[in-house]
Amino acid sequence: MRTRKLIAALAFAGASMLAAAAHADNYEIDGQHAWVTFTIKHGIYGIAHGQFDAVKGAIVIDKADVSKSSVKAELDVGSIHTAFDQRDSDLKGPDFFNAAEFPTISFESTKVEKVDDKTGKVTGNLTISGVSKEITLDVKLLNEAQAPWDATLTKAAFSATGKVSTADFPMGKAADGFGLGPEVEIAIDLEAVKK
Amino acid sequence: MNIFDSVMDRTDALQAGAAASALSVKTKFPLGQDGSLKANQDRGMGSATTARLNGLGGWWRLSAVLGNPMVTTAALPLLLGIVLALFARFALPATSPVLTLVWAALLLFFYWDTLGPPVMPPVAASQKLIYLAFAGIVMGLLPERLFGRGTSSLAVIALAAAFLWLGWRRLASGSLDLQMIAALAVGLLALIGAAMLTAQQASLSPSVEEPFLAPAAVLALSLASAIVSVLGASIVTGQLLGSLAALIGGWCLVQYVVTLRGGAADSWRKGVEFLLLYAGATVLIQVALLAPNANPAALVLSSLPPIVAVLVRGRLLGLLPGARPLRPLVAGILIAAPAILAIVTAIVWAPHGAALGF
Repeated sequence: MRTRKLIAALAFAGASMLAAAAHADNYEIDGQHAWVTFTIKHGIYGIAHGQFDAVKGAIVIDKADVSKSSVKAELDVGSIHTAFDQRDSDLKGPDFFNAAEFPTISFESTKVEKVDDKTGKVTGNLTISGVSKEITLDVKLLNEAQAPWDATLTKAAFSATGKVSTADFPMGKAADGFGLGPEVEIAIDLEAVKK
Repeated sequence: MNIFDSVMDRTDALQAGAAASALSVKTKFPLGQDGSLKANQDRGMGSATTARLNGLGGWWRLSAVLGNPMVTTAALPLLLGIVLALFARFALPATSPVLTLVWAALLLFFYWDTLGPPVMPPVAASQKLIYLAFAGIVMGLLPERLFGRGTSSLAVIALAAAFLWLGWRRLASGSLDLQMIAALAVGLLALIGAAMLTAQQASLSPSVEEPFLAPAAVLALSLASAIVSVLGASIVTGQLLGSLAALIGGWCLVQYVVTLRGGAADSWRKGVEFLLLYAGATVLIQVALLAPNANPAALVLSSLPPIVAVLVRGRLLGLLPGARPLRPLVAGILIAAPAILAIVTAIVWAPHGAALGF
């Protein structure tokens, strides 16, 4: 009798988990349609723009319970470009992104909050040069739809913005505002493919 | 753009870009981007506040001077090196452990000023440097009688451990590119140089150039590494090594004036030699490991002065002239020869000229 109850409980728990999983959609960031861009103060003058070309990661969207959604992304520091080779090269150096020691920048969400049907806040740990700091991104779901030309392809598109201070990371010269820095504004536009 | 314009560009960047920002960080005053109080007024800061800040004129000006990286990298350490040498001349014997403590304090001051306060636990290699300096200081403060034959082994173990600690992420990645080969060569040569130099014992009747050999070696290593580092887009380590070179330069300057006046120059305590050499070598290793634009040949050449300094006491001794005032000078030039080559190599083959790409 006791064994039957245990089996029933396990079956119920398993079914509940499956049901919960059924609500969550798994997406993979489409690196060909991902623009992770940033702006940063240039010395005492203007604003410099930059972008990371190599982006990968996964997004889990749980429409029934948005708080169970998550984001995990990774940027290749070597893919940074700012429209000037020499600056790109300098930014990969030890005073800034330190690509030789830390070749990637990562972000892993810890909390997803719904603001309304199309917008939300994603809080998570941004890790640059081995140091993690919590940041919050304002995220907007732009669209989620099946591709008109391919019934097997479903994509979701997001925009996200946020702010980071280089002083929070071991980026000595950016934190001093040497040439570039210290505050960075992030603007992300990306598409993700449903798995 | 010729190379000199490029160098000027880099100097301008150091002076204009960093000075203004470092100023606002170090003074703790909310200065404008151009470092002026007027900018604060333009930004809506009340005139009373501005007047109060102007009332602090003396301190503000001092902070402004200390906020200039050219001052903290060159002028201040040079001056402190001179003061230290005079202190050793007139107040304390150069072999006093108190003087070693003063060297250690100055060294830590420049690490702190350049790299910021220590971070626990250190993650990036740049955060580990101050701990390595501290380890070097602890070893440098060991009683002088312990610096004998075993010092070479201590230097080898300490530098090998530093190389592994600073570079384990690079080593773990398994990539053996040109920069990694250069870093391994630099690590090996620094290790050999440190072992050879620390094994040298003071002569019973030292020659006129002997007190200059170790300081010249660390000075040449630090100066060449500083320039190679800056040209390789690693400004922080460049500033740190520049401070070290200037500090030792101030010491050497006073000692040479003493020699010219017919006196005997003060020698470093073996502990001082160890801690300064260890500091210079570990920062050079960090540059070699992590500055992707640093010229590999220049890095290797920068690590050679300690080896040459030992050779000047042996095989190269015959190259020194008989004239007493010239002997330390020629010895210094011989020791600095690989460093000069390193600087020329770094400038001529700088990846983008010598300008920063901001």
